[in-house]
Amino acid sequence: MKIAVCGKGGSGKSTISGALARHLARQGHKVVALDCDPNPNLGISLGVPRESVEDMKPILNALLDAGHTHKDPKIEAEVLLGRYGIDAPEGIRLVATGKIERPSSACLCCGSHNTTRQFFGELPADDRVVLADLEAGLNDLIWAKPGPDDVVLAVTEGSAKSVEIARRACRLAEELGVTRIIGIANRTVSDVDAKRVAEELGVETFVVPEDRAVEDADHLGVAAMDADPSSPAMVAVGELAKLVTR
Amino acid sequence: MGDEQELTAREKWAIQCMDRQLVVLDDLAGRAADPRAWLALERQANSFARHLGTWLAHERIFPAARPRMAQHQADLAAYAARAQREVAAVDPDELEAARRSLGIRLAVIGKGGAGKTVTSSTLARLLARQGRKVFACDLDVNPGLAISLGLPPTEAGLPDEALEEHAGSLYGWQLSGAFTPIQAVERFAAVAPDGVRFLGMGKIGTIDKMAAKKSVAALVHMLLGIGEPDWDVIADLEAGPTTPFERYHAFSEDVVVVVGPAWRSAMTARRLLPMVEDRRLTLVSNRFRDEPDHPGLAATIRIPFDPDLAEAERQGLSPIDACPDSPAVAAISRLAALFTNQEVPV
Repeated sequence: MKIAVCGKGGSGKSTISGALARHLARQGHKVVALDCDPNPNLGISLGVPRESVEDMKPILNALLDAGHTHKDPKIEAEVLLGRYGIDAPEGIRLVATGKIERPSSACLCCGSHNTTRQFFGELPADDRVVLADLEAGLNDLIWAKPGPDDVVLAVTEGSAKSVEIARRACRLAEELGVTRIIGIANRTVSDVDAKRVAEELGVETFVVPEDRAVEDADHLGVAAMDADPSSPAMVAVGELAKLVTR
Repeated sequence: MGDEQELTAREKWAIQCMDRQLVVLDDLAGRAADPRAWLALERQANSFARHLGTWLAHERIFPAARPRMAQHQADLAAYAARAQREVAAVDPDELEAARRSLGIRLAVIGKGGAGKTVTSSTLARLLARQGRKVFACDLDVNPGLAISLGLPPTEAGLPDEALEEHAGSLYGWQLSGAFTPIQAVERFAAVAPDGVRFLGMGKIGTIDKMAAKKSVAALVHMLLGIGEPDWDVIADLEAGPTTPFERYHAFSEDVVVVVGPAWRSAMTARRLLPMVEDRRLTLVSNRFRDEPDHPGLAATIRIPFDPDLAEAERQGLSPIDACPDSPAVAAISRLAALFTNQEVPV
């Protein structure tokens, strides 16, 4: 199965994606994690050491460095995954699509979006989970183009702006024909908040509570799953993993 | 005429851009009585020259427009030199006063959720309360700045009459030739509380992304071409490195990088620093508790963690309306003082 995780910047996409991937792996699934943010940082939430996250070479950058141009024949996603992916804890394979390093160094942005589309579209996912942590906002959801067989998670925290973007992501996913759209009310402090988010999103909504342990892990740049897997938010994501693969 | 037929649409567009820049510069050069106009002329000529430099650096773009680009480079240098001569002749006290009241050109960048929009909106409102003219522009297709300015989330974009098609422009659209950038602001920008003028990218959220695409080139062009000495221009850029990479901040003299407490927010800020290029950098540390600054990211202004601000965000209210006396708003007022060359309150 394929899962696309989207939402506003700072809503907790990467934190949820990283923890979800770890739980899915623990529950026996083979997991490929795609970091589609041109500012890649999913590795942190997966438990990859900070230095490796900083040094990691995304596909597009690696290809450009090797002298490839967009005119070359496309290399298969599976080959690229083997060549440029790195191993994350619990057997997860992590790959990033592209990283922007300086202004106008090359046309990286549309390139990495194309890589996102290629990977989310092409990677076989019959006997494994392909989980894409998308760039902030809605644009990348259009590029990833999830379909009827895929799952979209629209992550939001409590702020009005974040909820509005998640709401739009849900509508956009519906337009794309996605049938399993799950709202994630992240960092929820009260039942009232959870209810408000669910009503706004208009889809099945799953609650991940506010959790100081996650915040502290974030501050240190380590995975919340490594800092405290028994914290309330991490336990909730474990339940989410069961829900999405049901 | 024979030469003109050789030009591609892109080259024609580039030449038209240069023509439009000269209109802005001539307008400023014609205001001899106002020393701020000379300061603005120098800044504007330099800003256009920096933008032209990015074209010149790419050897393959606009080949048939190269002679005109060389001429334009010389023209811009001449405008800057003339402005410098005029500035040198102004009485020092008068000049100092003129510098203090010269509008700012600010781009705000950072990771998603770092606090870019809270910072830019509150700063815009505070500057407007000082009686300054402020244009706040949301270069993020996701709504945000309008809400934090205290506008309904209508995402006021440029109407069709402000735009025209041009085959050589980004996505085929640009600002209508009927308006200079500042005229377009005065005519089409929404009026937010305290008189802040606002424009965003219109609506996205459907598969048709055309609304945002139609206005983006016009907005970026407008930001670069607002010569007016007394207008503050603040742009809130999309999260992360994509829009700085596209040089949407080409207009700016100042860049604020907002960094949150998370390690990955600091990593993002470090990745963004090269994009600041030669602009003045101000680092703002948001939701600051008591921890030391992130390594390599010494903050100029620290916006403390503030539950009142979080509540305002939850309700979708403008911070300056919901919690005007909060420590967070006080911290942003220090930022405003910094940019307007006033004494920074402790």
